[in-house]
Amino acid sequence: MERHKKNAVLTYFVQALWNKGSWAGETHIQKAAYFLQELLGVPLGFRFMLYWYGPFSFDLRDELTGLRGDGLLRLRPQRPYGFRYEPTDRAEYVQGGFPKTLAKYRDRIDFIAARLGDKKVKELERLATGYYVTRKLPDGTTEERAAELIKIKPHVDLSGAVAAIREVDEIIGQAQALVH
Amino acid sequence: MPKHVHEIRDPIHVFVRLSSDERKVLDSRPFQRLRHIHQLGLTYLVYPGATHRRFEHSLGVMELAGRVYDVVTGKLTDDIRNEFPDVGDDRKREYWRCVLRMAALCHDIGHLPFSHAAEKELLPEGRNHEALTAQLIRSDEMRPIWKGMKIDSEDVVKLALGRKELPDVDFTPWETILAEIIVGDAFGVDRMDYLLRDSHHAGVAYGKFDQYRLIDTLRILPRVPTDVEEDAETGFALGLDEGGIQSAEALMSARYFMYSQLYFHPIRRIYDIHLQEFLLEWLGDDGYPTDVERHLRLTDAEVMQGIREAEQNADLPGHLHARRVSRRKHFKLVYSHNPIDAAIDTEAGGAVFRALSETFDADHFRHDRYRQRGNAPEFPVRMRDGRISSSSMISEVLKRLPIVEVDNVFADRAIADEAKRWLGTHRDKIISRPEEDTDGET
Repeated sequence: MERHKKNAVLTYFVQALWNKGSWAGETHIQKAAYFLQELLGVPLGFRFMLYWYGPFSFDLRDELTGLRGDGLLRLRPQRPYGFRYEPTDRAEYVQGGFPKTLAKYRDRIDFIAARLGDKKVKELERLATGYYVTRKLPDGTTEERAAELIKIKPHVDLSGAVAAIREVDEIIGQAQALVH
Repeated sequence: MPKHVHEIRDPIHVFVRLSSDERKVLDSRPFQRLRHIHQLGLTYLVYPGATHRRFEHSLGVMELAGRVYDVVTGKLTDDIRNEFPDVGDDRKREYWRCVLRMAALCHDIGHLPFSHAAEKELLPEGRNHEALTAQLIRSDEMRPIWKGMKIDSEDVVKLALGRKELPDVDFTPWETILAEIIVGDAFGVDRMDYLLRDSHHAGVAYGKFDQYRLIDTLRILPRVPTDVEEDAETGFALGLDEGGIQSAEALMSARYFMYSQLYFHPIRRIYDIHLQEFLLEWLGDDGYPTDVERHLRLTDAEVMQGIREAEQNADLPGHLHARRVSRRKHFKLVYSHNPIDAAIDTEAGGAVFRALSETFDADHFRHDRYRQRGNAPEFPVRMRDGRISSSSMISEVLKRLPIVEVDNVFADRAIADEAKRWLGTHRDKIISRPEEDTDGET
């Protein structure tokens, strides 16, 4: 995606998470972006790998820093937890130049923000890792995928893993209407 | 009788000490090659003292890695002992100390001539100097040394490259922490050494910070992720005791100043571009050799000899670029990043470059854009009352650290003055709010 358009899409995405009550810390943005790119097909070009709290992209981490350098996001330290990423006024100005690009992705971004915006890090970790194992085992049963999730995240118990896989399946089902 | 401890004088750390086994790595061909790789590429053309090499930097990284390891494994709480059983076992603790020091020593052996100057352009898609480093650590050249030391070369690769460079490799939490000691964004000793060393050799004071205080206060601490409920499992990360926070602020400020004043000095950057262009023509269609033997044979010395020859012979590949480097006929800066233009268009330099290229001749201009990478300066801090907090809650300085941006346009000196004048009269039209094309396609 061309640089200006990517700036517009990513800052709109962070704003959408804020609007849905997200803490919008780095982990929240990382997990939500994983769904946005891999499930909803928004071509952000990030490479995700498994890290502390599940799927994570160093490219996205660099991008968030770049957006801060460009004055489109700022860090807002807030007690008790730490930095949140907040779009600046300039982000709105950039988004204004790309109405068609945003129109193309708005439904998908709003969907992810609505589904994940109110979730905390631990829930996002389970869901994003649940989606990761679902992509790895596309034909796996709920139980098989839950077992795989626990293998990756041993602190998640069986009922939590099963619930996460079921929620992932629900998100995937709802997302189909937006992708096709 | 061979000596068990070898001492090497060092301008930053006074002495760097190695065991006889470690000395074998030092004496290996891949490591000795670093004697001929300038740490800062052609920076010495701007800062004449900056002629130091990757060799001594790597020794310094090893020295610091060992010191950090001794500090963080020397002050362990029960929860850390439970989380990382290897630390409680003397034999394993010694094994990992050795692996860490060797990974630190070897972390740069894959560097191309003149370090970072031309890596992206010369290596095949998806390859970088880290991949070459891994290749060398696993090579026949190094394998007998690791075997003699009873070290698994894959452990050395993991710690030397870190998780970012090995996305498909499984790391244990302990290995992740150890890799962070070398390449970590916050307290990686690679960065600590290069800031101190580059600052020393370049003759600038910006890179200095209190390494002794900082290292003494480093700890393995529970991570402080956002919005996680109390008592939740969060994992561990490299952090520090509250008493070290000012040293950490100094380290991160040093990083900002060194990048803005030295590493991103515009003339240094344009020399890198001329060097890249020379290398691309000089190496020809085959590009940079990525096999071990040919990589080991190619250093700054061979490239500089190529530049000397090409500079004097117009028929040789890279002639023009070689002259720009060796006769100091580098392109001149005609536009650089500034907050006023960036507020209108974050990619203002790109717009200027395109406008100048269309008006004059594209070959007369070069565009250099770089956005800072890495993460926000956030790490766990153990406060004096024992609570663990985020650095973002403790330090006003870290909250406000600026980000470095590069967005330069350079022009051939034959037309630089004319280009600057033209830009002065057309700037307002060139730098405008970016808008998408009519179809909105990506």
